Amino acid sequence: MLPKIDRRKFLGVGALSATVPGFLGKTGRLLADDTKSLAERDRVLVVVQLAGGNDGLNTVIPFRDEAYHKARPKVGIAINKSLKIADDFALHPETGELRKLYDAGQLGIVTNVGYPNPNRSHFRSTEIWEAAVLEKDTLTGWIGRYFDSECRGVVSPMLGLQLGDKPAMTFAHAKCRAVTLTNPSLFQWEAGSVGQAMDRLNKVQTTGNDQLDFLQRTGNDTLTLSKRIRDALKDSKTSTEYMPFNFSQSLKVVAQMIAADVPTRVYYVSLGGFDTHSTQVGRHAGLLQELSQGLGSFIADLKSMGHLDRTLVMTFSEFGRRVAENEQQGTDHGTAGVMFLAGGPVKAGIHGGRPDLSDLDEGDLKFKTDFRSVYSTVLKEWLKADAKKVLGSEFKTLPLFV
Amino acid sequence: MKAGVTWDAAAATHLMSRTNFGGTPKQAEQLAARPLKDIVAAMIDEAKAAPSPKAPAWVREPWVNTERVYPETTPAERMENHRKAGERQTRERNELRCWWLDEMIRTATPLREAMTLFWHGHFTTEAKRMFVAQPLYTQNAALRANALGNFRELLGAVTLDAAMLMYLNMEDSDAKKPNENFARELLELFTVGIGNYAEKDIKEIARALTGWTLDAPEGTKKKPTVADAPRAFCRDGLAPTFAKEKHDGGEKTIFGQTGKFGLKDVLEIVAGHPATAKFIGSKMIAFFGAVDPKNELRDRMATAFTKSKGNLADVLAVLLTSHEFFAAASRATLIKSPVQLLVGSCRLLNLDVTATPSLAQVTAAMGQELFNPPNVKGWPGGRDWISSGTLAVRYHLPEALFDGKEPAGFEPIATDRNFALPADESARRDLLKRLKEFDAKRREERKKDGFKVAFDSAKVFDGPVPEKAGALVDGLLARLTVVAPRADTRATLVEAVDKASPADPVKLACRLILMTPEYQLS
Repeated sequence: MLPKIDRRKFLGVGALSATVPGFLGKTGRLLADDTKSLAERDRVLVVVQLAGGNDGLNTVIPFRDEAYHKARPKVGIAINKSLKIADDFALHPETGELRKLYDAGQLGIVTNVGYPNPNRSHFRSTEIWEAAVLEKDTLTGWIGRYFDSECRGVVSPMLGLQLGDKPAMTFAHAKCRAVTLTNPSLFQWEAGSVGQAMDRLNKVQTTGNDQLDFLQRTGNDTLTLSKRIRDALKDSKTSTEYMPFNFSQSLKVVAQMIAADVPTRVYYVSLGGFDTHSTQVGRHAGLLQELSQGLGSFIADLKSMGHLDRTLVMTFSEFGRRVAENEQQGTDHGTAGVMFLAGGPVKAGIHGGRPDLSDLDEGDLKFKTDFRSVYSTVLKEWLKADAKKVLGSEFKTLPLFV
Repeated sequence: MKAGVTWDAAAATHLMSRTNFGGTPKQAEQLAARPLKDIVAAMIDEAKAAPSPKAPAWVREPWVNTERVYPETTPAERMENHRKAGERQTRERNELRCWWLDEMIRTATPLREAMTLFWHGHFTTEAKRMFVAQPLYTQNAALRANALGNFRELLGAVTLDAAMLMYLNMEDSDAKKPNENFARELLELFTVGIGNYAEKDIKEIARALTGWTLDAPEGTKKKPTVADAPRAFCRDGLAPTFAKEKHDGGEKTIFGQTGKFGLKDVLEIVAGHPATAKFIGSKMIAFFGAVDPKNELRDRMATAFTKSKGNLADVLAVLLTSHEFFAAASRATLIKSPVQLLVGSCRLLNLDVTATPSLAQVTAAMGQELFNPPNVKGWPGGRDWISSGTLAVRYHLPEALFDGKEPAGFEPIATDRNFALPADESARRDLLKRLKEFDAKRREERKKDGFKVAFDSAKVFDGPVPEKAGALVDGLLARLTVVAPRADTRATLVEAVDKASPADPVKLACRLILMTPEYQLS
């Protein structure tokens, strides 16, 4: 299969062994990838951000807990409506596709995920999750650091690919090799003399003005990648139906890119609107339905195209929400939340116990699993990376994979 | 202060590129002939003295809710009212974006619009979370009226404006369980900034701010709506009104002070907090672009803030006359915001332009939809403006401005889902079909006016158009304030103008300049 060879070449495998002098393999990290099997090198991670603070308690519901129903007379999900998945847990009624994945052994759920001294600001807490460092003023993202330390020998300016308009901090790094785009149709350019002049105007000529050099690099990358992205989407084989909404359609683009063997290791897609301070019930139902149907289509699509084994999906949100509802049928910012894992070798089931609603900190849950343990496990076991180096310290590996 | 400022035409060009959406070489010469201090003082005075722009025609005082549900309202009427209100809101939002863009493009006091834009990204409201358009206008008017006034007054006006009351859920926040949304953002994003408060302060402020709602103006005769109607279907008006019975009248402790505080006390405390002076200073520095590694400029601005009890004109004057602002490191290093890029291009190219929804979509596609920031923090600015996607939109700008064509991909790939679809298969299909039709109609509505833009080469130069390619390119680079082109940039432009011997060399050169990395900087 030719496309596979193409992908490996882009991911640096064939190209490196053919062109890089042997001695580099012993001296630097350049060929670090060579210790991995070909299958491992093909692996892809899809990070899904639920922006605004997803209400974990109404997503994966401790439905037998009376304290839950007592704290949420209006916002809580009735027992008879929730989708039971385990003795202690049920899923939100609008997440039928997630339940199917769960039943099929394809969905892992991590409960009570958070970090010490939780910050309840959207922005600070998002930064903490994206940097995976608790100290302020960290300017790099955890995947950005992974690209830097583990993918040095890989030839690709689009190791990361994000659908959205504001570049995610997760990919941030001084030598950022990630691309952010809203709509792939934008990458269509005038041919002829205007197009040629435009290419020339965007050739990199370092000036010492950091902002100008950054713009030149982005401009040059954009024009270089335009054709590749257009081609990837043109030859798309996907036949699965996706809902006609932004998040679902973004996942469809990601599936097309994965199937087209573009040189990308990590994808990033956002679903926003989870900041449900008022009239939560209807809004949250719509969001979870989009999440569930989007992921359902995505997993089915990858499976039918034969790419599910090499794809892992992981969701995160900056925080969960306050246990007790407020007066406007909403919930305020809270602490620990839930993460979903799907695809690849995910070990289905619930990782982590029930949230303890009788032991709260100022009305908020106490976290039991540090999110950096989840990242560490993904880095170590899925991306075969040096997790300690990327995260700065050692975190417990969790049994998330079979 | 210390190091002085060399005030010359280049410095004047720099100043105008940040405060006026740019200025011409001729204007720069004129400014440079007078002292910097006088120029800045005059700019601020003119901005403050200019009359307010006329409100859009659809703004009504008092606003009337056409969606109220009374006992005799039939379900069919209710649906129809809702549909009409939705259409009205979409139309008004489009017109509002155009209204402001037109104002920015035409205004004789661009500094006032720049400051309004600054506050628009500070005191935010997301249009996508609002169900009526009028508060977006009244908030904007409040920002403009107080843009260079007193911070405490600005904060008061914004806090009790319908937009903020609705957006951050202070409307109907009740003593029984106060809503913390506004209280948190008030501290984190609007005044003292993160790191300068405790969770306890948020909870106490939320208590102090309970009891506010939106109602018809006092004395209006009201007809009771059905019981338990959601707010959108029973709200009688947009006048901020205090409902004492819902207010928590007890003692609160905020930043160490204890008292039976209410809204005014909270605003006094936070506006007068020393961290607020620094926080506002920092944000202005980032917006107008000055390199201030040791925070010395910020501290001088904070001192001016405190000394003048929050006089924003004084604070801005410190910034615009500082040596940091005019230092080499501060020049041509600020990534233009999409609005600055579009408005600046229209002004500097002297385009004959009337804003249309398609023109407004240009900045949205670049990541800055007016009245609809990505979240409550506003637009982060700087390098966050630039990704492959948004830079591609910037490089498509000439097609919009010179050819009047909207390139593909200026809208997101699809819309967001705002509610759950019904479980029943046929009801779901039916709803999806209607959503699709609705969206097609929305797009058609937005695109129906196309672009109303005309380019005239003769209007780009103050004098005659230079004949030689080199002089023409140099003239245009100066006109479009590209102050430090790379050698290759100039060479490529000259060659393109020479080689193509086009019918309109000015237009070709302008088109190409807009597609350079340099043009993205001010």
